[in-house]
Amino acid sequence: MATGALHPGRLIDVQARPRQLSVQALSWMLFIVCIGFYLHVSATRHRENSEDRVVPSGAQLLHGIKASVLEPAEEDDALEDGASTWQRIHHSMLWKDTASSSRRFFISLALLVPAILLGLHMAVFPYIGAVCLRFVLFFDKIVALSLLPILFIVFGIDEWSKIMLMVIGVAPTLILDTYQMAQAVPREQVVKAFTLKSSNFDVAYRVVLKQILPQVINSVRLNLKPMVLFLFAGEMIAATDGLAYRIAIMRRHMGMDIIIPYLLWVAILLYGVDALLRYANRRLHPWF
Amino acid sequence: MKGYYRAFVVIAALCLATGLETASAYAGARPSFTVGWSVYAGWNPYFYMAKSGILKRWADKYGIDIKVQRFDYAASLDAFVAKNIDACTMTNMEALDMPAASGVDSTAIVIGDYSNGNDAVLTRNNLGLAQLPGKHVMLVQKTVSEYLLERAMVLNGLGEQISRLRLMNTSDSDIVGAFSGNQSNLAVVTWKPLVSQILTQDKGVKPVFDSSKIPGEILDLLVVRTEVLHRPDGSGARFAKAISGAWYETVAQLAGSGPVTEKALTGSAAASGDSLASYKEQLRTTYLFATPKSAGTFTKSTDLKQKMDLVRQFCFHHALLGQNVSSVDDVAISYPDGSIQGKQNRVRLRFDASYMQLAEQGKL
Repeated sequence: MATGALHPGRLIDVQARPRQLSVQALSWMLFIVCIGFYLHVSATRHRENSEDRVVPSGAQLLHGIKASVLEPAEEDDALEDGASTWQRIHHSMLWKDTASSSRRFFISLALLVPAILLGLHMAVFPYIGAVCLRFVLFFDKIVALSLLPILFIVFGIDEWSKIMLMVIGVAPTLILDTYQMAQAVPREQVVKAFTLKSSNFDVAYRVVLKQILPQVINSVRLNLKPMVLFLFAGEMIAATDGLAYRIAIMRRHMGMDIIIPYLLWVAILLYGVDALLRYANRRLHPWF
Repeated sequence: MKGYYRAFVVIAALCLATGLETASAYAGARPSFTVGWSVYAGWNPYFYMAKSGILKRWADKYGIDIKVQRFDYAASLDAFVAKNIDACTMTNMEALDMPAASGVDSTAIVIGDYSNGNDAVLTRNNLGLAQLPGKHVMLVQKTVSEYLLERAMVLNGLGEQISRLRLMNTSDSDIVGAFSGNQSNLAVVTWKPLVSQILTQDKGVKPVFDSSKIPGEILDLLVVRTEVLHRPDGSGARFAKAISGAWYETVAQLAGSGPVTEKALTGSAAASGDSLASYKEQLRTTYLFATPKSAGTFTKSTDLKQKMDLVRQFCFHHALLGQNVSSVDDVAISYPDGSIQGKQNRVRLRFDASYMQLAEQGKL
């Protein structure tokens, strides 16, 4: 049945082989349903109240997107009229917020590298494991958000408290995950490496780490969302710029016409980072 | 297949039965209204009013049911704008930039009080307002805190410096810890009881400006959706009468003396988990319109118009009326004397003194 109409029975056929075209079409279906549902709700609300801001209409959203991409943030000075489009984008609200949020995000992503190495060392070197494992297991269960007042005192209310909130929130999970992956590397391989005159660090880095790295990258990918959640929490609590800062401000007066484009933008950025890591994984570890 | 079918029939029957039941329950029920409130010295009495049975008595008199529900402030406004609740407590500023600017026609039927020192600008190291530009100021942005700060600058001849203030948006749930935790934070704008918490924790912090210097500009209102108020069956008007009556009975208890007042104060303090002493301290800096007469007089005065004009200019200047509102007159306000601030055909916020007046005349 390569051609012809879709038979209902096929829907529960484990061995069905949908054509490329129908796979493409079907994968967009839920998007269209969601957009349609949104437009329907928006239209209904606007019929009742033409100034509704809770579920903005397409035109309102477009206006919001234009304002955030082309116009400077309210707290900044307006550009002179002759500015080129590129200049306008470069000084826009969205650009400014994205830049400051990304900086926080990537600094904390970089700070997760030591966490991964700690997990590796805990698994490979029994004494390090003995010292750290119980503590990290316990520390992992602490709700990082409730530590915020302490973070403010230790790291100030500027950048570092937000960055550390992300690191403290995600690092323990990542350490434990790496630890488990490293533990799962067959003992025989370690023994074999030693018989081939490996040093301790050769085993740690060239046998164990090399093997678990693709899984570790996948684990980082899964932790991107929690990281953004912590970033948002931090920026909503005290900030002067950032994507979540803007959302918090806009919420004060129901600026959903800005908030929704911002949320979609965050989703796209996150998807981009995820795709990048996935791509890197495939290139670096084609054997995985 | 037969099993599935039977399950389906049973579920369908259940749905139908519950549907009928709720339908019949509604048919005989009295009209029901929900009032949202949030923790604040001037609004805590709503909690006591409901708990003590005062509200129930008034609701029964008008043949309706009134539910009082506590929210976080922002959530209460969201619920009001989404039309999930019929009435809500809010400041005059939020009445303008949340429901009114979202096209939800709203009417203020009770002006409860104004902030008479509840909101304050605090600084460390004896810093004056003139030294604030260029320094970080922690506050919840786009709220009365920012309004207060700007008014403080303007009234002290520093209006030009406002754009040089470096505002740090800080959530009210963490502002005390965030400010007190670090000596390098120099200025904060917030409200009571947070102000008192900061002042008692840190002796080096001093108030440099507070809302008693701008009396009547930060008003606390009870706002009802206008369409609810004018329901054709008259139930909305009965609701407004009942809640106004209950409110002034409660406020009279609060403002009086003797054991009844103590009970009312304790009951209101309990609404926010405050001690009686702390609640009394908050009330000292809250100008409660204790009688419907005083509230009505203020609502009908030209004073209110001038003050609302300052607030609406602030809202427009900060794009709080919406990104695509091109004129401050697009969100118009009407007053008891029939005058309108803004465009005639775009009235979104109404001050209605008639229920306060009825209370004053004892006709509720």
